[in-house]
Formats: sequence, C-alpha cells, structure tokens
Amino acid sequence: MPNELHIKDLRVEVKGQEILKGVNLTIQPGTVHAVMGPNGSGKSTLAYAIAGHPNYVVTGGEVIYKGENILELDPAERSKLGIFLAFQYPVAVPGVTVANFLRAALNAHRAQPNVDPKETAIPMAQFRKQIKAAMQDLSMDDGFARRYLNEGFSGGEKKRLEILQMSMLQPSMAVMDETDSGLDIDALRVVSEGVNRLLNPDMGVLVITHYQRLLNYIKPQFVSVMMEGRIVRSGGPELALELEERGYDWIKEEVVGSLN
Amino acid sequence: MAVLTNGSTSPLGTLGTLSVAQVLEHSQAANEPAWLTEMRGAAWSAFQQMEAPKWRRTRLDELHLETLQLAAHPHAPELLGADKAAEQGAIFVPLRDALTTHADLIGSKMGQGVPPLANRYSALRAALWQNGTFLYVPRNVELEAPLHIRYTLPAGEQAHFPYTLVIVEANARVSLIEEHISVESATATLTGATTELFIGAGAAIRYASIQQQNRTTYHIGGQVITLDRDASGEWVSFGLGGKVQHIEAEARMQGDGSRIEWHGATFATEQQNLVIVPWLRHIGTATESHLDFKTVVADQGYSVFDGMIKIEHDSHATSTRLEEHAIHLTPNSRSDSIPGLMIDTNDVAKAGHASTSGQVDEEQIFYMQARGINPADAKRLIVMGFFETALSAIPHEITREQVAAHIEGRI
Ligand SMILES: Nc1ncnc2c1ncn2[C@@H]1O[C@H](COP(=O)(O)OP(=O)(O)O)[C@@H](O)[C@H]1O
Ligand SMILES: [Mg+2]
Repeated sequence: MPNELHIKDLRVEVKGQEILKGVNLTIQPGTVHAVMGPNGSGKSTLAYAIAGHPNYVVTGGEVIYKGENILELDPAERSKLGIFLAFQYPVAVPGVTVANFLRAALNAHRAQPNVDPKETAIPMAQFRKQIKAAMQDLSMDDGFARRYLNEGFSGGEKKRLEILQMSMLQPSMAVMDETDSGLDIDALRVVSEGVNRLLNPDMGVLVITHYQRLLNYIKPQFVSVMMEGRIVRSGGPELALELEERGYDWIKEEVVGSLN
Repeated sequence: MAVLTNGSTSPLGTLGTLSVAQVLEHSQAANEPAWLTEMRGAAWSAFQQMEAPKWRRTRLDELHLETLQLAAHPHAPELLGADKAAEQGAIFVPLRDALTTHADLIGSKMGQGVPPLANRYSALRAALWQNGTFLYVPRNVELEAPLHIRYTLPAGEQAHFPYTLVIVEANARVSLIEEHISVESATATLTGATTELFIGAGAAIRYASIQQQNRTTYHIGGQVITLDRDASGEWVSFGLGGKVQHIEAEARMQGDGSRIEWHGATFATEQQNLVIVPWLRHIGTATESHLDFKTVVADQGYSVFDGMIKIEHDSHATSTRLEEHAIHLTPNSRSDSIPGLMIDTNDVAKAGHASTSGQVDEEQIFYMQARGINPADAKRLIVMGFFETALSAIPHEITREQVAAHIEGRI
C-alpha cells in the first residue's frame, strides 16, 4: 500500500528526555485508527513528531508516507504531502484573521515550483464560496472568518476551527489530537459529523483520544493503546470499550507483569 | 514672495549663520502678525542659546544643524478633501494662507500645545516654519470623509519645518491623516514637524500620523492633542521611515471626561533609529487613556519607546493603561522600552502599564507551517497581524492598504 502511514520504531526526545521509546504503527488509507492512552503517555508527542515540531527531536526510527521518509521534510512540506495535524492546543495568532490564514494555507498548497504564486493563487470569489460552504457545514456563522486566529476562542470554537481547516485543505492523512476535549455534546456531534463527511477511501485518520466518547461518533477500525512512550496493546473497537469500562490500570499491570 | 526662504532676492544662508534680526526682518517682510514675529524672534534667540537636549538614545551626532539650509522652495502641503470640508463650513488650507484670513484664531492657539521653548528643536521649529496646515472645524460640524495632509521635503532641499494647527470646535467630528515623505538625497535632510490639535468639548477626532520618509532624513517632531471636556480622540502613530526619528507626542486629557484611544507602531530596519516619546497627560476629572504600541525591529534597526503616564496633581479618578510590545526579527536589531509612570495625586481610578519583547513566537510559526505555509511567509503574516490593531486604526482604507503594503514589502 503506497499511501499508508508507516511508523517504524520511532524514538523521540523532548528537552533531552526520551518520550517515545520505539513506536510502531501503520495507518491504512480508508481507515480510522485510534490511539488511546493515559495523560502523559506520549500521544501528543507522537502527533507533533509526525507533523515535524522542532522541539520534538527524532532520535531513531522512520515515518514513511507516500514512499518518503517524511522525517526529512520540513513541516510545511509534510502538510503539502497531505498530512494534517488537528492540534490539541491550537495556537492563537492575534491580528491574523481566520480568512487570511486559510487563504495563505490554501495558496501554499496550490503553489508550484517555478511558477509565480499569483498564477496559482485561489481566486477570491472561489475562496469566499468555499469557506462559506465549509463554515456552514460546521454550523459556524459568517463572522467567524473575520475573527483573529484562535484569539479569545472558546475550547469548542478552537476545535471547530481545526476541522474547518481540515475540510479546506482536504488532507489524505489526518492526525487528530484530542479533538474531543473541551467540546460539549452538541459541538462533539457537529465536529464528528464534519470529520465523517471528509472521510474517503484514500484518507487515513489517526484519532488520538483519552476517552472513548469520541469513538462513538468517529468509528475506528483499529485501536491501539499507548503507555510510557510505547504501543502496548492493539485491537479492534472493542478494546476502546474495554478501556472505557476498566480504565487503564489493568493494562499497566499486565504490561509491568509481562516485563517482569 | 514667501517668508523665510532664500530665494534670489534675499539669501538666508545656513542655520548656523542666521541671525535673530534676519528672522524678524523676514517675518515683517511677509506681513506676519506682530505676535508671530515676536514668537519667531524669541524662539530663534532661544535656539541659539539652548543646549541640545540630552536624548541619549537618539543618534543625532551626525546631524549638523548649523550647516543646513532652510528650504528655498518649500512645497505647500498637499491637502486632500479640502473642497468637501469647505462645503460644510470647515477650513482646510495651507497655514500661510490662513494667516492672512484667520490670524487671530491662529494666534489664540499656536504654541499652546507644543511650547516653542520646550527644547532646542521645538524652538527651531517655532522660529523657522514656513508653511503648514490650518484646519478649523466649526461647532457641530461632522465631516464624513477623512482629510489628508501630505508633507514632502522637495528634492534638493535640506530642511523644512511644517506646522499643523487643528481646531475642532465643540461637538464637531473629523478624521485627519498627516503624512510625511521625502525624496532621496545625497546629504542629510531634516524635517521638523509641529502638530497641535485642539479638540473642543464633546468633539471627536481620529488622527493618523504617518512618518514614511527616506533613509537620509532626520525627523524631529512634536505633536500634542489637547482634549476638552468629554472630547475623545483616536490616535494612531506610525514611525516607518527616516534615518533617525525623534517624536515627542502627547495626549493631554485637559477636560473632564475626555479620553484617548491611541495606537502606534514603529518598524525600524536597516540602520534606522526610530524614537517615540508618547505621553499620556491626565489633568481633568474621570479622564481615560489607553496606549497600545507595537514595535518591530530587524537588521540593525534600533527603536525606542519612551512612554510616560503623567497624572497631574489636580486630576481625579484617572483611568489609564499603557502597553508596548516589541518583536525582534534579527539578533542585531534592538528595541528599548522605557515606560514610566508619574502620579502626583492619590485620586486615581486605574493606572497600569505592561511591556513585552521577544522574537516571533515559534509555536505560531509551527502552527502555520503545519498548514503548509513556509516560515518566511508565516513570519510575514504574524508581523502583519501584530501591526493589525494599529493598521485598522488608520481612518482611511486606501491609506491603510498602502501602509500595510509598505510594511509587508519590508519584512
Ligand atoms: N514541550 C514539552 N516540554 C516538556 N515536556 C514535554 C513536552 N511535551 C511533552 N512533554 C513530556 O512528554 C511526556 C508525554 O507528553 P504528551 O506527549 O503531551 O502526552 P499525552 O499527549 O499523551 O498526554 C510528558 O511527560 C510530558 O511532560
Ligand atoms: Mg496530549
């Protein structure tokens, strides 16, 4: 499968401390793969490493996507390859409107080497139409596009904006980091429906979550459990339900038990 | 024959050789009112006696005032919007023209905002201004379209001192843009701009001051907005051009209930040294002010924000906040922020200041990169966003776009 995301023995350090200690994971196009785990187990570290955050230093392993070791690409190039990270903590950028930011992102994706960016830029009318439709799908009102990026946004608005960006950029590999946190049940439904509409047979999704609640809306085919920087269990959707019921401690005990 | 020019009939020489007698003589020859002749004479004699002010952070050591020649053919200011203003009874004309028609009105205000003898440079400006702008907005008149003043130091000239005097009567409303430009010159040039705005009771002004001169110009300015009872001002200051800028600016909340909302931006690149000294002076009762200043420096650019909140002894219940934020784009750039607070009363409702300085936030850059935007474009977007509050305070869309494009092109 050329378009699978293949994570092999990935080791990542943050500030000199090893957080990911050899992660293996494969996400097939057309599937939703959930990674669950307790706080601090390294889920966001995995997400940032895939996206290329400079503070997350890869010390070993590879991440292959579309035949390339994406660890050699800068974050913008990874985005243009089709990888999208929906941030757990989206960043506020005062003074930059949602619309301007999205237009810059779209134009960056449309740019071609050795072609004047003006020629590939999205025509204004087309952009307006596209953003309006995308916002409607996510029950966002028009004024949202004129607000400054994540500035003064509620938790729910931030997550909605992440999905709005995802729907505009149409990634082929989405990593969604705790997209459910901070959402009330109505917002969760709107956001999940937004995501589900985007799913297609060429698209892989890595859903990172602490709770199984989100997985009632975005249904995974595979579930993996991360603990202390490793994938310690993998299974189908039933694993998520079991975690919901029994918490994480029993896995911890089993893992520790198996190490002894 | 305009006064104080060294046209073929009466050469003036350089500032170093100009005598008080010559200044008086030229003023009289131009039939200026006696009070003005007197004001000029006093200012010039003060200039000759005064020491240069000790502005430690303003690099004036290469500016040799005594060698400069006063502009022989100063441009009259370009005034846009005068016809429409006139239709509503407002006067928006070159100051020299207004002297012949409204000398008393001008005399009643000139020098009340920016005191001529405050320092050697204010004295220089008061003595030698040749032209400028007079704006008078009568009571209750609300001007829709913004008025626009453009001062240019013409090619071949070395020094000019444009003077802007604005009187807005009670309950009137106006928007004004004052822009300074100059053309490339082989030698150092000087613009000394004085701006006094007197805003009457219940009146409102939106005022933008935009300094976009070229890299050989020294810009040394004084600006004061005086606000009467319940008057309000929205002020935006842009320091973008010039070799060296030193602007002393003051919002004077004189009348009870007066208030100012003040935004500003400095963008210093190359070898620029841009200094702004903004004061919030609270005199009346229950006056309010907010100053929000944004600074970006790059290359060897050096900016100084020397802001001050001054709450006078007889004031009551002042509410004020001053903030300044600076971004450094390169390691060799420098910005100094020296916010101060002088409170001469116990009766203050609220007073605070804050300042921050640092590089462009890495997390913001990464967030943008994660959407495909390259780091250079991300920085440009972030810096433009940083200036956005100041840009959006420019009361004229085309000017706003021009200033934005100018800044964007330099990032
Ligand atoms: N930027 C960071 N600075 C310091 N420590 C970090 C940073 N990011 C992650 N860590 C550390 O790495 C570990 C895993 O964190 P994280 O990946 O955020 O976990 P999760 O997303 O599963 O809650 C934690 O011990 C956390 O303290
Ligand atoms: Mg996390």
